[in-house]
Amino acid sequence: MEPTVGSATVFGESISKLKKPEYRQRFGVLTDNSGLYKRMTVYENLKLYCELYGMPLSKINEVLESVNLQEDRKKKVSALSKGMTQRVLLARTLLHAPELLFLDEPTSALDPVNTRHIYKGLRALNEKGTTIFLTTHDMEEADTLCDRVAFLNKGKIQLMDTPDQLKKRYADGTMTVELKNEEKVVLSTGTEDAQVLYEFMKNGQVATIHSNEPTLGDIFVKATGRVLA
Amino acid sequence: MNESIKRVNAIFQKDFKDFSRNIAVSVVLFMPLFVAALYGRMGVDTLDAHYMIINLTFAMVATFVQCCLIAEEKEQNTLRGLMLSPASTFEILSGKSLLTFVLTILVIVAGALLSEYQPANLLIVSLAIVLSSFFYIALGTLLGLWAKSVMEASVIILPVLGIFSFGSFLLPLAEKYPVLKVVEYLPSVQLIEIASKVENGAGFSETAMQFGIIFIWTAAAGALTAIIYKKRMMD
Repeated sequence: MEPTVGSATVFGESISKLKKPEYRQRFGVLTDNSGLYKRMTVYENLKLYCELYGMPLSKINEVLESVNLQEDRKKKVSALSKGMTQRVLLARTLLHAPELLFLDEPTSALDPVNTRHIYKGLRALNEKGTTIFLTTHDMEEADTLCDRVAFLNKGKIQLMDTPDQLKKRYADGTMTVELKNEEKVVLSTGTEDAQVLYEFMKNGQVATIHSNEPTLGDIFVKATGRVLA
Repeated sequence: MNESIKRVNAIFQKDFKDFSRNIAVSVVLFMPLFVAALYGRMGVDTLDAHYMIINLTFAMVATFVQCCLIAEEKEQNTLRGLMLSPASTFEILSGKSLLTFVLTILVIVAGALLSEYQPANLLIVSLAIVLSSFFYIALGTLLGLWAKSVMEASVIILPVLGIFSFGSFLLPLAEKYPVLKVVEYLPSVQLIEIASKVENGAGFSETAMQFGIIFIWTAAAGALTAIIYKKRMMD
């Protein structure tokens, strides 16, 4: 997409340089309109990209393991479910271990088991040095995976910080204490309710204590005035 | 083997596997061969008949197959994956054209054997056919980039089939309708002209004009294809 206003740099260069083939080796992209060759097997699809990126074919097993598809390498793509196709696309994106990875809704259509498997793989990739730029509507996913989140509203960044800092900033300064008689009491996290909490604890009445910090979804709604789709 | 050749080869091998499993498109390879076999059995041995088969091969194999291969890549969003890879525009377009080129040449050779066509100067005719095939493949790529789906590609190919395969049939009408004189400059007509001159003993110098016209068509189609391809790289 051609920029309309402003400028951006990636790898210390203007984004216009990303069009050059040598830069494309350094990043990976997974969007909702990425596709696979349906008449070919999972392995054949990945082999093509291994060769295009100049990677050894041994990488195929490695990435298939990271998306939990080792057993399905000989299956034709046309026979895969939507979730499996999504995992093959993700595997293809990981083949060349890019320095920068753009992921658009990477776990859409995945069940919770495979979602966790993907999260584990993405964390491992991030620990090895890959910067991951994740776009998602799933605030739980953003909270689980992201070091920093940015809320986009009408094309502008409304908020940007670490999930923890955002939660602290939007916290209402209360906690909910659930007593053993199932009564729930909302107390201030400040010093004014310290004695009340002390009394509950001294008398052995406390069952659970939860800080009432907002979720990223709550913060998005507060910050933008919009509802998550 | 350097990286560039490896990438072109990877795309070629992928296309070969994918195409061999695509019965709907691969079946068109047999159409020119069927006509050639029929002509061979019927004893038809005119230059126009031989080049009707060759020009049919160009339209059905070089252009139609290429158009479908590219349109399918677009339809299934796999072209985007290639565009985002380190492969350059030249590597992708060469890789995507190599299978069609090989198939076109194989079908033309097989067709010539079946229809028992023996050119007087094999070298000149071969070069003309190779140059022409570049034009028709570029045309197929261009139409494939233009089409939104394989279905649309198979429709927009019909005028191409009519103009480039059977355009020479309009030549007798050129005296009555001067506008049809433009048909004389079609690459298919120029190819027949080369073949005809060669039968009368002409060499490279006598056919340079025809080679030049086919080259201009090829260069124009190639340049236009590269421009449209670059546009398709943008959302």
